[in-house]
Amino acid sequence: MKIVFTAKGDNWDSQIDERFGRMEMLVLFDEEAGTLEAIKIETEQMDHGAGLQTAQKVLNLYPDVIITGNGAGNKALDILKRSSVKMYIGAGGMTLKEAYNAYKNGRLNLQF
Amino acid sequence: MREIVIISGKGGTGKTSISASFAYLEGSNAVVADCDVDAANMHLLLDADFSTKEDFFSGELAVIDESKCNNCGKCKEVCRFDAIEQIDGHYTVDKISCEGCWYCSRVCPNDAITMVKQKAGDLFVSNIKNDSTMVHAKLGFAAENSGKLVAKVKQEAKMLALKNDKEFVITDGSPGIGCPVISSLSGANLVVLVTEATVSGLHDLKRVVKLLKTFSLQAVCIINKYDLHANMTQEIEEYLAEEDIKVIAKLPYDETFTQALTDAKPIVEYNTNSKLSIMIQESWEEIKEIIRSRY
Repeated sequence: MKIVFTAKGDNWDSQIDERFGRMEMLVLFDEEAGTLEAIKIETEQMDHGAGLQTAQKVLNLYPDVIITGNGAGNKALDILKRSSVKMYIGAGGMTLKEAYNAYKNGRLNLQF
Repeated sequence: MREIVIISGKGGTGKTSISASFAYLEGSNAVVADCDVDAANMHLLLDADFSTKEDFFSGELAVIDESKCNNCGKCKEVCRFDAIEQIDGHYTVDKISCEGCWYCSRVCPNDAITMVKQKAGDLFVSNIKNDSTMVHAKLGFAAENSGKLVAKVKQEAKMLALKNDKEFVITDGSPGIGCPVISSLSGANLVVLVTEATVSGLHDLKRVVKLLKTFSLQAVCIINKYDLHANMTQEIEEYLAEEDIKVIAKLPYDETFTQALTDAKPIVEYNTNSKLSIMIQESWEEIKEIIRSRY
């Protein structure tokens, strides 16, 4: 499975970013390959429509799962719902590692 | 470090008066973020000194290089904002009308048009009353608030709070339910809704609550001017009960709100021992208790 974390740093001890559209950093975890990679999406450059632009950039990575804090706003949700990706929320305040474990143990909720 | 975001939906409910009072009460234990950038006024109540300034860039403007322009007029043809005119034989972009959409620069056959980043305003970090700090912004003419600017104000405030070991960030959110509000809310640990006992107050309250539900954010509510319309207040309370949102205070209509504003003071500074100030102080204590017990 490919998992996208909305993050504030690029490693397993970094904090999850509660935001989706304006997340500080996107970190992609490929479970099979075992790789953790920070991907530049430069949300701080997005003047308007950050939710939509970020949703597009995330989907371009073909993830199976997104793990975040608060979830996406309505417009980004509209786009994300059309794909098969699953959005898990409630990971705010956790590190990436903690969030991943929470997800694996069914402790996160689905936003949709 | 926990963030408390105060929003209202409808403007004019008393959101900023109340946020400013919270900020004054908590003093140096909090960093304040004024995200109501379109109509910022926290700085007036909290005596901000604008000590640090930073440029804020947002949007772009098209600029035509005369030396490369062959006057074909394609740019003017495609501009949806009537921003390009031929003046003295040269095609020129009107800075106020240009929306930075890039269309003209894309169609120009001679690559004569460049898109230049615009300074939209200034971001400030100020020292404020009671030994505290506030992050706020001022926009240039025709510049608009956006999720981006709000995100930047919040981020600066949070960084300062973490760096200086402050317990709270008090964020005065933007009114309405648009992108600036979404950006104000995202990442909040607790949301304080300030509404009023009017039909539009309730209507807009429902819209922001819908937004809160999308983000699964915990919220409490202060009903301001509750004695203006008892039936309306009751309707609001019933609605909030259904949505599982606790009402932590019902403030009576009181002209002290306006008097304090005129005096450029938060209510709790203007008249510290009034019933109104005491109610606001008690609300703030309850808010802190809720956050501290939850985290």
